[in-house]
Amino acid sequence: MRSISIALAVARKDLASEWRTREIVPALAQFVVLALVIANFGFQFDSHNAPAIAPGVLWMALVFAGLVAFGRAFAAEREQASLEAMLMTPATPAAIFAGKALAAALLLVICEAVLLPALALFFAVPLTFDEVSAVLLATVGMAVLGCLFAAMVARVRARELLLPLLTLPLWIPFVVIGGQAVQSAMSGGSTTNSANGLLLDLDILFVVLTSLAARFVLDD
Amino acid sequence: MTRYEQAAAAAVALMLVAAGFIFLFAPADALQGPVQRIFYLHVSAAIAAYGCFAVVLIGGVVYLWKENVAADRLARAAALVGLVFTSVTLVMGMIWAKPIWGTFWTWDARLTSTLVLWIIYAGYLMVRRLAEPGRQSARFAAVVGIFGFIDVPVVHFSVTWWRTQHPGAVVLNDALPPQMLVAFLITMACTLVLAAVMIAIRYRIEILTDQATEKVVAPIVAQTRAGDAR
Repeated sequence: MRSISIALAVARKDLASEWRTREIVPALAQFVVLALVIANFGFQFDSHNAPAIAPGVLWMALVFAGLVAFGRAFAAEREQASLEAMLMTPATPAAIFAGKALAAALLLVICEAVLLPALALFFAVPLTFDEVSAVLLATVGMAVLGCLFAAMVARVRARELLLPLLTLPLWIPFVVIGGQAVQSAMSGGSTTNSANGLLLDLDILFVVLTSLAARFVLDD
Repeated sequence: MTRYEQAAAAAVALMLVAAGFIFLFAPADALQGPVQRIFYLHVSAAIAAYGCFAVVLIGGVVYLWKENVAADRLARAAALVGLVFTSVTLVMGMIWAKPIWGTFWTWDARLTSTLVLWIIYAGYLMVRRLAEPGRQSARFAAVVGIFGFIDVPVVHFSVTWWRTQHPGAVVLNDALPPQMLVAFLITMACTLVLAAVMIAIRYRIEILTDQATEKVVAPIVAQTRAGDAR
């Protein structure tokens, strides 16, 4: 119970500081729209190939936006050396980590709220409930993994280099399963229930594993 | 000759024995011809890589649990050797795929997950290099090694979970003729010995590296401390 209120307090702090500075969300929103513009030039897009290309564009934009969002989650703490102060309190590292991951996930969700309608608008693909649920479920697992490695690389040299190297391979399951779910949702199919179940299983697995590992990454 | 040189010579001799079985004892494949002989080393190297990554996993867990430096060193040694064997698996697989499938690479689940495995453990070695040597690098690497191991069962079961171009298990399904099975088992045993010897030698190198680092770093730390005191 105490851990949950600590996690919520940490998340509230991060969201408040984002609300005051308004750094990450506007930059990410611009970034995802720019990614769509680049995709439009990269793929010879027309109304026939849109359902085939749009899911790939969605996941590429989402994965790279996620890397930026989660990388920033611990960058501010590092610059101010405020993580050490938080760790000196009796709060458990797992609770602090959960709060950071929650805030970062919510920032990515806000960015998804821009990306998904923009994709539907510019690429003329349907925006369905199945698509949204697959993306949101994937966000949970991606956020905990991304924040774990972001916390790690915040303390090493060449952090911008290392974060994608560590994070992207472990995000692949989400992209594989979420990608299939979005693909079938965009082409009018509705067989994503099993995909959502799998995504939920992965979320649970990684939430448990990362909360166990948080102690070793945050505290030294 | 030192103990390590003897072990290395024995491992090389065993691999030559395995080569004898592969090229002289095992019959040529009726459909694929001589290129099928890649199978023996390709699969053995994959199994050796799984084994190495299991050592990385166990070493990581033991390190996080007991802060045992030897466990971390073992994990470090096994990660590098596992990466070498994964590379062997990938390269031999590509050489085999070209004549049989007509292409070096296809994005099927087994090939893709193996490539991801390679990238994960390359990332593991990058963490080792970029994190602060000592406790931090050991802890971070242990976490990466534990999370990375999730891909090993994915690689292994990819042929059953997805429809792949890569064939499924032939050894476990009893699909090999007896002579091929003998050649395979001998190659596998020799490859595992080779992997163990490589890990042992690498472990020794890690000890020497740690000692050398200690020798260089300790006086600097002492000097800095003295400077701080003044």
